[in-house]
Amino acid sequence: MNPRLLLFIILLLLQTQAYAQTTIQGKVLDEKGLPLPGTNIQLKGSYDGATSNQDGSYQFETAEVDAQVLIYKFLGFKTQELNISIKPNSNEIQPIYLIEEITEMNSVTISAGAMEASDERKSVILKPLDIVTTPSAMGDIMGAFQTLPGTSTVGNDGRLFVRGGDASEVGIYIDGMRVGNAYGTTAGNVPTRTRFNPNLFKGTFFSTGGYSAEYGQALSSALALNTKDLSIRSQGDLSIMSVGGGYSHTLANEKQSITASANYFNLAPYQGLIKQEIDFEAAPNGWDIEVAAQKKTGENGLLKIMARTESGGMQLWQPIPGSDRKVLVDLKNNYNYAQANWRTALKKDWTIFTGISYSKNLDKIAYDSLLIERRNELIHIKGTAIKDFSDRLSAKFGIEHFIHPFSEKLLNEGLGREFDDRETYLFTEWDFYFNKDLVFRGGLRGGASSVSNEEWLDPRFSVAYQLKDKGQLSLAAGSFHQLPVENFRVLNTNLQNSESNHLILNYLFTKEGFTFRAETFYKSYDQLVTFEGTLDNPQVLQNGGSGFAKGIDFFFRDRKTFKDTDYWITYSFVDSKRSFNKYQTEVQPSFAPKHNISVVVKHFVPSLKSLIGGSFAYNDGYSYTNPNMDNSEMNSKTKSFQNLSLSWSYLPKPNVIIHLACTNVLGRDNVFGYTFSPKANTDGIFESIPQGQIAPRFVFLGVFLTFSKDKTANQLNNL
Amino acid sequence: MKKYILTLTLSLVWIAFAQASDPAFVAAMQKQLAAKNTIATFEQSQTVTNGFLRIAEATETEWLPLYYAALLKTEAAFRFDIDKDKSLDEALELAKKADKIAPGNSEITALQGYILMAKISIDPAGRGQTMSPQAMQLFGKAINLDRENPRAVSLMAQMELGMSQFFGTGPEKACGMARMSMDLYKKEEAKINDEYILPTWGKKQADQVTSKCN
Repeated sequence: MNPRLLLFIILLLLQTQAYAQTTIQGKVLDEKGLPLPGTNIQLKGSYDGATSNQDGSYQFETAEVDAQVLIYKFLGFKTQELNISIKPNSNEIQPIYLIEEITEMNSVTISAGAMEASDERKSVILKPLDIVTTPSAMGDIMGAFQTLPGTSTVGNDGRLFVRGGDASEVGIYIDGMRVGNAYGTTAGNVPTRTRFNPNLFKGTFFSTGGYSAEYGQALSSALALNTKDLSIRSQGDLSIMSVGGGYSHTLANEKQSITASANYFNLAPYQGLIKQEIDFEAAPNGWDIEVAAQKKTGENGLLKIMARTESGGMQLWQPIPGSDRKVLVDLKNNYNYAQANWRTALKKDWTIFTGISYSKNLDKIAYDSLLIERRNELIHIKGTAIKDFSDRLSAKFGIEHFIHPFSEKLLNEGLGREFDDRETYLFTEWDFYFNKDLVFRGGLRGGASSVSNEEWLDPRFSVAYQLKDKGQLSLAAGSFHQLPVENFRVLNTNLQNSESNHLILNYLFTKEGFTFRAETFYKSYDQLVTFEGTLDNPQVLQNGGSGFAKGIDFFFRDRKTFKDTDYWITYSFVDSKRSFNKYQTEVQPSFAPKHNISVVVKHFVPSLKSLIGGSFAYNDGYSYTNPNMDNSEMNSKTKSFQNLSLSWSYLPKPNVIIHLACTNVLGRDNVFGYTFSPKANTDGIFESIPQGQIAPRFVFLGVFLTFSKDKTANQLNNL
Repeated sequence: MKKYILTLTLSLVWIAFAQASDPAFVAAMQKQLAAKNTIATFEQSQTVTNGFLRIAEATETEWLPLYYAALLKTEAAFRFDIDKDKSLDEALELAKKADKIAPGNSEITALQGYILMAKISIDPAGRGQTMSPQAMQLFGKAINLDRENPRAVSLMAQMELGMSQFFGTGPEKACGMARMSMDLYKKEEAKINDEYILPTWGKKQADQVTSKCN
C-alpha cells in the first residue's frame, strides 16, 4: 500500500477516534430522593465531567471508551464512585443517591448545660475577648462568667457559684487537667480572683450541669479552660497598671513557641489614695512567674507545657462583733502549678491525649496567736483515646489517677492532721448521630477513693434535636459525685461522697448576630456534709445533709441591631434549699439568691478609637440567720445587691491600649450578710457587723504596650 | 558528579517544561478561565469551581486548579447570597491543599491572606483583632516569597488603608504600596499571552486604594 495512503487512513482513524464523543447523562439525588444540584461529576482520570443542574440532572461528552469510573463529589456528602461501561453515542446512567455526611459544622450539638467561649465553634455564647472587655470582670475569668445564666454573684467571695451550689462544686480544668486551688487564698471579706490570666486561653467550655463523663468531682459545674496553640509571632508585652505591672515575652516560629512572663502587684499605693472599709495592715500583694511552651509534633500532634509559681499575702485587722477588739489576720500563700499534655491523631481515626498536672498550695495563716499551716497537693494523670468509627458513631475512653495529700498544722502547739488520698477513675462516652438533626450521648464514669474507701458509678446521658429553622432542643440527665472539701475530710476521713442528680432541658436559638437560650433544671442533693458547732470549729461531721435546686434561666445576646454595639441580658431564677454545714433544716443558702439579673453592653466608637462598656448586676439579696429575730435558720435576707460598672478602652496607636474601669460607680453600699456575736449583750441583743465591700468602688487604670516587628500587634491579638 | 547534577537539572527542567506545557492541561484550564469571566450567578460560579476541581482531581501535581477553585469560592462569598463563612472555610481548605502541592508559593500565600480578609469583613469587630495580624503576616510572607507578585502588594495596601482609616493615620503607606503594585501589574500584563494561565486578578482592588490617594 502506498505509505502516504496508509498514513492518511491512520490519521483519519485517529481523528475519528478523537472526535468519537459520546454523551453521558444521569441524575443525582439526595437520600430523600430530592434533586441535588451542584454535584461535581467526573470520569476518573480525565477532565471530562459536569455539574448537576437544579433538577439534579447532568450531561457531558467524553472521548473515553469502555470501562470507566464515574465519581460523584459534593462537599458535605459522601463521595461515590460508579463503574460504568461507555457505549458509543449515548449513555443513560442510573440515578445516584448521595448520602449526607455528618460533620461538626452541619450537625446538631448538645447544648444542655453547656456554654462555650471560643472563636471556632458555633454554639458560642462568649468570645475570649469578652472576658477582658466585660467591665465588672476586671480581667478575671470568673468575673466574666458571672454575667452568664445559672450563676450568682457573691461579691465578698469572688468565686463562681452555679445554680444553688457552693463554690467548691465547680471543677476547674486546664486542657482537661484538674487544677487544685485555682483561686487565690484570701481572708476576711476580701474577694478572690482566678490565679490564671485570661491571655493564656484560646477558649473556654463552661457547663452549668449535665456535663460529660470526662469530668468528675464537681457537683454543679465544670469549667474547662483551653490554652492557646502556637503563638503567631514573637513579641513583648508590657503592662503598667494602677495596682502593679508585668512583662511577658514570646518567641515563636512555625513549629514551636514559648512565652515567659512575670508580674508584680501591690494594692498599697492605691489604698493609700482611696480609703478602704477594711483595715489593712499590709495591702494584698504578690508576684508570679510563668512559662508556657507549645510544640508541634509530627503531622498533627501538639505538645503543651506550662509552669507557674506565685507568692502573695495580706494582713488585715478583723473586727469582733460586740467588742471594740480587732484581731490581726496575717496570710501568706505560695502556689505552684505545672502541667504537660500531648495530643495527636493516629491512624484509623484514633486520637489520643495524655497529660499530667501538679498543683501545690501552701497557706500560712496567723490568726491572733494561732499559727496555721495548710498544705494541699494534687497530682493528676490522665489518658484519653477517641475513636471515630464513622461520621455517626464515636467513642471516648479515659483513665485518670489522682494523688492528693493534704495536711493542716497548728505550729505553736505542734499539732497536725492529714490525709493522703488516691483516686482512680475510668470513663467512657459514646456519641451516636441518628441523623444530622438528632444526636444521643451516653456516658459512664466510675471512681474509687482510698481514703473514703468507696467506689461509685455515675451514668449520664443527653440528647439534642435540631428543630426547623435555627432552634434546637437538648435534654441532659446524670448523676454526679464529689468528695467533701479538704478541711472537712481531714477532720473525718470516713466522710463519703456527696451526690447530686441533674435533669436539664435547654432551648437554643442562634441566627447571625443573635443568640437566645432558655434552660430549666432540677437538681437533687444528697449526702452533703453537716456538722455541729461553727464553720471555724466544726464537730461531729457526717454525710447528713440533703436538698434540691430548681429554676430557669434566660440569655439573650444581640450583636446586630445597633451599629457597633453588642449587648447581652441574663436572668436566672434559682429556688434552692439544703441542709448542710451547721444547718439542720433545709434552708436557702446564702450563696443562692433567688433572682439574678445581669446586663452587659459594649459600644465601639470609631471616631474615639474607643470601646465603652457598661455592666449591671442585680440580685434580690443574700439569706442569713438573724438570732435577734427568732430561733429559725436563715430567717432574714439582706437588701438587694446592685453593681453598675463602667469601662473605657482606648487605642491611641495600634500597639497601645489604655484601659480605665470602675466597679460600683454609683457607690451602692452592698451587704452580703452579717457576722453576729455568739453571745447576747446585756440588753439581750446579738450585736452584728455587716459583711460589706472592701471599698465602695474599685478603680483600675492600665496601659498595655506591645513590641513586635509587626507594628499593629497589641495585647488583644493574643485572645 | 558534575554530570549527575547536569542530568538531574536537565531532567528537572524537562519535567517542569513538560508539565507547564501539557497542552491538554492548559486547554482545560483556559476553558474554565474563559468561563470564569462570564460568571453572573452562584450556579455558574459553582459550575466553574467544579470544573477546576475536576482538573485538580485528574492532575494531582498541579496547584493552579485548586488555587482558582479557592479564589472562586472566596469571590462567591462576596458576590452571592450564600453562607459566607462556609464558602470561605471551604476556600481556605482548598488553598491549604494547593499549598501542600506547592509549598512556599507566593500566590497561594497571598490568597490565604485574601480569604482571611474576607472572613474579617463578615465580623470586623469580633475578628479584626485576631485575624488582621494573621492576614498581614501572610501578605508579608507572600511579598518575601516573590517581590514581583502584584496581588500580595495590593492586598497588603488594602489592609493598610483599612487600618490607617481606623487609627486615623494618613493613607501614605497604603498609597505607596498601591502605586508599587500598579507597576507590578503593568510588568505582569507584558507577560500575558494566549498560553498564560497564572493568576492576573487584583488590579481592581489596587485601583480602589489609589482612588483614595491624591
